[in-house]
Amino acid sequence: MLVRNEALQVLLVEDNASDARLLREMFSKEKHGNFELTHLTRMHDAEIRLSKGGIDVVLLDMGLPDGHGIEILRRARAADPSVVMIVLTGLEDEALAAEAMKEGAQDYLIKGQIENRALPQALRHAMERQRLQAETDLMRENEVQLRDDFLSHVSHELRSPLTSIYSFSSLIADGLAGNTTPQQDDYLQIILRNVDQLRAMIEDLLQVTQARSGKLAVELQSVSVNDAAAYAVDTLRGAAKQKEITLSFLPSVCLPSAFADATRVRQILTILLDNAVKFTPAGGTVTVQAREYEKDGSLVLVEVSDTGSGIKPEDTERIFEHLYQVTDLSRAGRRGLGLGLHIAKDLVTRQGGKIWVTSVSGKGSLFSFTLPIFSLASLICPILAEQKVPGGLIALFVAHIECRDGSVDVPGKALDMTRMVLQQCLRAGTAVLLPKIGPVDEHKIFFVVANTQQRDAEMITERILRQLHSRQEFQSDNFTVSVSHVILPPMSREANDSMATLAERAASEVRDQINATVCLQGAA
Amino acid sequence: MSQKKILVVDDDPDIRLGLRVRLNANHYDVVCAGDGVAGISEALKHMPDLMILDLGLPDGDGFSVLERMKANEKTASIPVIVYSGQDPVANRDRALKAGAKTFLQKPMEHGKLLAVIRFILDAKDHPPASPFSVEADRQE
Repeated sequence: MLVRNEALQVLLVEDNASDARLLREMFSKEKHGNFELTHLTRMHDAEIRLSKGGIDVVLLDMGLPDGHGIEILRRARAADPSVVMIVLTGLEDEALAAEAMKEGAQDYLIKGQIENRALPQALRHAMERQRLQAETDLMRENEVQLRDDFLSHVSHELRSPLTSIYSFSSLIADGLAGNTTPQQDDYLQIILRNVDQLRAMIEDLLQVTQARSGKLAVELQSVSVNDAAAYAVDTLRGAAKQKEITLSFLPSVCLPSAFADATRVRQILTILLDNAVKFTPAGGTVTVQAREYEKDGSLVLVEVSDTGSGIKPEDTERIFEHLYQVTDLSRAGRRGLGLGLHIAKDLVTRQGGKIWVTSVSGKGSLFSFTLPIFSLASLICPILAEQKVPGGLIALFVAHIECRDGSVDVPGKALDMTRMVLQQCLRAGTAVLLPKIGPVDEHKIFFVVANTQQRDAEMITERILRQLHSRQEFQSDNFTVSVSHVILPPMSREANDSMATLAERAASEVRDQINATVCLQGAA
Repeated sequence: MSQKKILVVDDDPDIRLGLRVRLNANHYDVVCAGDGVAGISEALKHMPDLMILDLGLPDGDGFSVLERMKANEKTASIPVIVYSGQDPVANRDRALKAGAKTFLQKPMEHGKLLAVIRFILDAKDHPPASPFSVEADRQE
């Protein structure tokens, strides 16, 4: 039981005068309880009072002149996260009360049914429940922390012996310990394959631990989904060939870049392809496709389909759950830890997408996931948000490559080279490199530097040019490269502008300026 | 051309031997040390072209070795590859900040490991046009 000497601070937020008077009277009649009651009629005033601290319990009417329903609870919680909340509802509002409990209210009192004796008890019980809950939460947190530390420790400890097993079996396989017979070679390949499986499992284990403890970093940038898919297909080609499975991937021509983390997108696709190859019988087909999502133009849709055994309808949700494996193991042979799809779902969600599966049992499965499409605004947004110097400048550099013979396709080597040079010119922390982005022109490469002065921008531009022209690739006559920069004036922020609106405005200004620059260069 | 010398600092003798055989087979001279103190003294004695450093060492972690290597002007220019089984999320940035050339996670496929070693040794022999920064410009 709660033991305390000072008075319990109760805040009553109720706009109905007669309801309020009734409650006040109950408190004044209460002889044993030690309460101090504050009464307010508006949510706005309650928020101010709560944010000052010192209130133990707040009694909230669910219909106030400046707020209604669940929103009131959220505002109270935001003003003071530790306050105990009890809601006051009418008889007809019990459904709302139940919802309020889910939102973190400790109890609800139905107006007109509150008895003198029940009130102080309800308050004390509510406080006690909140205390117990906080204790349980803390215990659970500690447990999770312990388990995560343990898993992280174990996965690191497993790496050393695994490194030695790999190292020596590969030395023997490479003939560095004398000649081997063909049979020994076969057996060594089996060891090495299993080493790789074990390594993948340790990686999965560590990743799940990191995801839970919030240590898993996802860095959003402009990403080519085609490139990521090509990478994943390459990784799985060997395994597919072994099972005589046709692995098909047709890069789509006009696919916009995604706003995602390239490494993570590759990882998601590798998990899905690996699964598909595992569950598809010999002679089957696994197909990867990506396109702009017809149901939502702000998303890219990626699909991995197979001609495997399919998934039962009751399993289509659960296969994304932690450690869940389809029960019929015979079809898949030996399996991993059952973490793959769980990790894929976590990664997709973190990048702002969704993942789901549709399947016809016996005919195959279709795994689909979405990723947000990259836009200039989405990249500028965090830069604007992080700008510590008010009115700081953003400079955007444009490297423009053109073939002299007028052909549309710039060789990949030239793009890679430009990208590398630009990368070298970046300043860590303040600059981000953007690969080819669509809206302006396919063949330009951009990068953004935050908080750069006009003079620095000119210097950087000149240096990029000099560096590019010193490269062998650009000394041949096949193509030309020009570099220019755009300085974005400081954005004035209206009171009710959201960061997204601001970024959208900045992006359109950048686009206008780039178009103007390119036109000028064209004229000259 | 004389062989390049690589110093391997790792407390696991099996990992040291595995690396030694693999590196010897690729025409590198290999010196080994089993802890941080020995690692520093071997570095000063042999002046290797490259150091491969584990993080979990018996006498303090690899970071202190890295810091001491970088603090001593005799050894500061020796490139260091951190090769560790520890969490890259927690350790990669820290290793790079402390002056490591790169962070590789154990076990690393030997083809990749050798490629990284070759790349770092090449870069040391043929430094690229100095990478520039705005700060460097100002000092000109």
